[in-house]
Amino acid sequence: MARTSQRLLDPHFVSKLARLDLRARLVVDGFLTGLHRSPYHGFSVEFAEHRQYMPGDPLRHLDWKVLAKSDRKYLKQYEEETNLRATLLIDTSASMGYSSHGLSKLDYARQLAASLAYLMLRQNDAVGMFAFAGGQGELIPPRSTPSHLRQMLVLLERLEARGGTDFAASLHALAERVKQRGLVIILSDLLDDPERIAGAIHHFRHRKHEVLVFHVLDPQETAFTFEREAVYVDLESGDRVTTRPQELRGDYRTRVREWIETIRGFCVEKQADYVSITTDTPYDRALIEYLSKRARLL
Amino acid sequence: MSAFSFLNPGFLWALPLASIPILIHFLSRRRLPEIRFPTVMFLRTLEPREIRRLKLRELLLLILRTLALILIVCAFARPSVEPKGASTRAAAAVAVILDDSESMGAMDEQARPRIEGARDRGLLIVDAARSGDEIAVTTTTGADAPLSNRSEDRVRLDRTVRQIQTSWLPGSMEKALERARRFLGRTTLRSRELYLIGDFQASGFTREAREKLALVARSGARVYLLPVVGSRVPNHAIEDLDPELRPGPQGKGLEMRARMANHADAPTDRLVVRARRADALIGGGDVSLLPDESRWASLPIDWRAGAQNASVTATDLGAKAPVVVESDVDALAADDRRFAVLGAPRRLRVLRVVESRDGAPAPRFAALALDPSQDGSGGYSVEAGTPASLLSINHGRYDVVMLEDIASLSGDAEARVRSFLREGGGVVIALGPHADLDYYGQRLFPGLIDLAIEGTERAAEGQSFELRARVPADPILEGLTLKVGSPLTQSHLTAFARGRTTSSRAEAVVATTGGLPILVSGPRVAVFLGSLSDDWGDLPYSGAFVPLVRGMVDHAARTASPEGLDQALVGHPPAARLDVAPSGSVTVRGPESYRSQATVLSDGSGFRAVADAPATVPGFYVFEAAGREAATVAVNPDPIESDLNPIPLDSLKTGPLPPRAILTASSLRTHLHDTRQGRELWLPFLVLAGLCLAAELWVGTARIAAS
Repeated sequence: MARTSQRLLDPHFVSKLARLDLRARLVVDGFLTGLHRSPYHGFSVEFAEHRQYMPGDPLRHLDWKVLAKSDRKYLKQYEEETNLRATLLIDTSASMGYSSHGLSKLDYARQLAASLAYLMLRQNDAVGMFAFAGGQGELIPPRSTPSHLRQMLVLLERLEARGGTDFAASLHALAERVKQRGLVIILSDLLDDPERIAGAIHHFRHRKHEVLVFHVLDPQETAFTFEREAVYVDLESGDRVTTRPQELRGDYRTRVREWIETIRGFCVEKQADYVSITTDTPYDRALIEYLSKRARLL
Repeated sequence: MSAFSFLNPGFLWALPLASIPILIHFLSRRRLPEIRFPTVMFLRTLEPREIRRLKLRELLLLILRTLALILIVCAFARPSVEPKGASTRAAAAVAVILDDSESMGAMDEQARPRIEGARDRGLLIVDAARSGDEIAVTTTTGADAPLSNRSEDRVRLDRTVRQIQTSWLPGSMEKALERARRFLGRTTLRSRELYLIGDFQASGFTREAREKLALVARSGARVYLLPVVGSRVPNHAIEDLDPELRPGPQGKGLEMRARMANHADAPTDRLVVRARRADALIGGGDVSLLPDESRWASLPIDWRAGAQNASVTATDLGAKAPVVVESDVDALAADDRRFAVLGAPRRLRVLRVVESRDGAPAPRFAALALDPSQDGSGGYSVEAGTPASLLSINHGRYDVVMLEDIASLSGDAEARVRSFLREGGGVVIALGPHADLDYYGQRLFPGLIDLAIEGTERAAEGQSFELRARVPADPILEGLTLKVGSPLTQSHLTAFARGRTTSSRAEAVVATTGGLPILVSGPRVAVFLGSLSDDWGDLPYSGAFVPLVRGMVDHAARTASPEGLDQALVGHPPAARLDVAPSGSVTVRGPESYRSQATVLSDGSGFRAVADAPATVPGFYVFEAAGREAATVAVNPDPIESDLNPIPLDSLKTGPLPPRAILTASSLRTHLHDTRQGRELWLPFLVLAGLCLAAELWVGTARIAAS
């Protein structure tokens, strides 16, 4: 059972499924199944029903009254009361289309966004979506209706990686449009000036939003394991650099590490949560980060 | 000035291959793959400072790869350089002396006869000959004229060298060097080389041979020494056989004597010696010898065993019989067998020539030492004579002539003495206070013995000279038990003639205090520089006197000579004494189908038959007259070859020899290659190419490893 749920969280395995809604449901179900054994169980606050106690369940949810009356062990199940408004910001710039092993950063972000949206809606949270690139974007305002999921999935299905990022401009624009405070979840490779990224995050924070940044990178972007001398073409700017990877690998890795640390530092400074993930990272890592964030917010 | 060239220049057509790295370099730059990447901002920041280093490194790699290919192609083209001073391009006159003496039949370090190793070296030299070279091959026992050929007749030269075998004939390095010197002197070619191949036995390199070698080197020829062995090989030998049978210990039975030698740094342990008469074993024994010891060993024999005539008794020793004495075979088999015709002890007939002075008879010390009972029973019959008696001497009447304190000889007497020597007789000369030293030094000794006389040496008042043995175990000192340097006798000399040997043919056997020679031996001649009387000391009264006098007489009588009888050496015509005049011609038969006519000469008391052809192998040679056996003589090799101890080759380099004049088998190949075709450099080229490739690998991977 646990192995099956793990497979459902593997990006490569999930990416082979055709429908995004099905993928999202599988991911979340697999995640929640595994979560039964985890300390994240029980984020709802309103009682919903009883369930028979199973060995391993925490005793703190045991209904002692039922136990006293009938000598049977039942756990109390709760229904969640929502007051969270979350907006998923998905970077669709050309650089997000990069893939070194079949699953592009955009594919990964798309799947993660669908899973998060499905999970949020299952928890009766209001969730919206904003796909942006080149300083523009398309916004779906947050709602908590189940039919809202389909609208977001449609948007996710047609996302394509194109154009430049202009991360800061897009986010500044969105920050002005989203009046009601909530949780802003950014899924991007953050290939922009770190100072400007920090400025955009600061804008959200200024508007009293909570910010969770998923820094999505391809493993090749950090490892840079190319061997042959080649002409490297920038997916967004089209710039060309001819070099030998084996000559530069060490320095390159150092530079990327410093860049990531810079962004992380800015996020910490702006009190935003920062999660660096690569496209081969299982989805549960991101979902756990989200749930942790949500638990802190509620 | 060294000249550089390629021996396989055809390979240089492959030099354009060196452009392959350059082509690959530019082609690979033109066809670089494109990789689309999220961002190049991290690469771009690194590029400026790396790009210059990369370009420099690429250039270095390109140079290294191109250089490696050039070096590899050049290595295949066999680059060579002519050594400084060599005349690689010029034809050369090459003289090869190959030692084929008896000692070359001994085994080398690879347990094969030394001559094989020598032949291999000779063939290498012949095979390395180029067009225009002149080559002469000669051996130390070879004919006077060396085989000389143009290099075109390679097959003949090759066959000649392959057919060289060890020879029983006496070798002469001096003569071989002279032949080579004449050959090199005749050539018009500027480049001249002499290769000396052999075991470099000390016995072969006399002073004359060394001088001849230095002469060749001084003439401008490059001399190369090619030793086939590196160190001394232990070898024992039967050096001589006493042809006279002797009574056994306490007068019982008979015994014969063999002179055994141990040429080794370790003693022998009970060396077995066997004596055969026909096919029957007639006696023998075992002999233990100290390192470098040479001494007579007595072997008990049963003389009747193996006798063809059963009626021959032990006392009937008048009839001589051929006997073969053998020992266990070791390094050199040639000297482990010796032939002799044994018979009754020979009574030496000595003519003692003295002068009476002032009417007083001459002292008779020497006569009494030889024949104390004056009946010849001691093995010597001594007849007294005057210088005038010398005019009628011949070898038929006397074996040895002893001149004792004779002032000088007349011209006729002197000529007769020389003639006596040529006939095979021996001469003992004892000087004394009345001897005219100038006459002896300047007139009599030249041609007789290589000894110069420089005056009289007298001891200071109250002082005297001691006699000290100088040569270990010399036959003259046989009756004395002595070590080298130990005093010969308790007696002392007050004066003696100061002499000096002038060649290695004369040897100072005994010296006085201070190292001056007092007893000098030469072929069939012994000279005592003191007095055999009591006027220059008290020697006649000492115990050493009798053995000393007898030793000198025995030496003069026994010393083998080319013209001697009964005991002859290979390489000389066998000669025999005939008691009666033969009727008709005398023929000589010997081993290996030897057959020769003999010339018969009368010497006064009998006849002497000398074969026309020299003996070529050891063995028994039978003189036949009218179909009947008239005499049998034994012919043996010269035991001088037995000591298988090479001389230190550096001692030959004192002259103007090239710096690398001593060549081993492997260095000979290199030497011939270098001097004939130039010194090849393909290996250094390949090593350099390998270094280039290693450097290329290092430069190429160093940065990757750092990453």
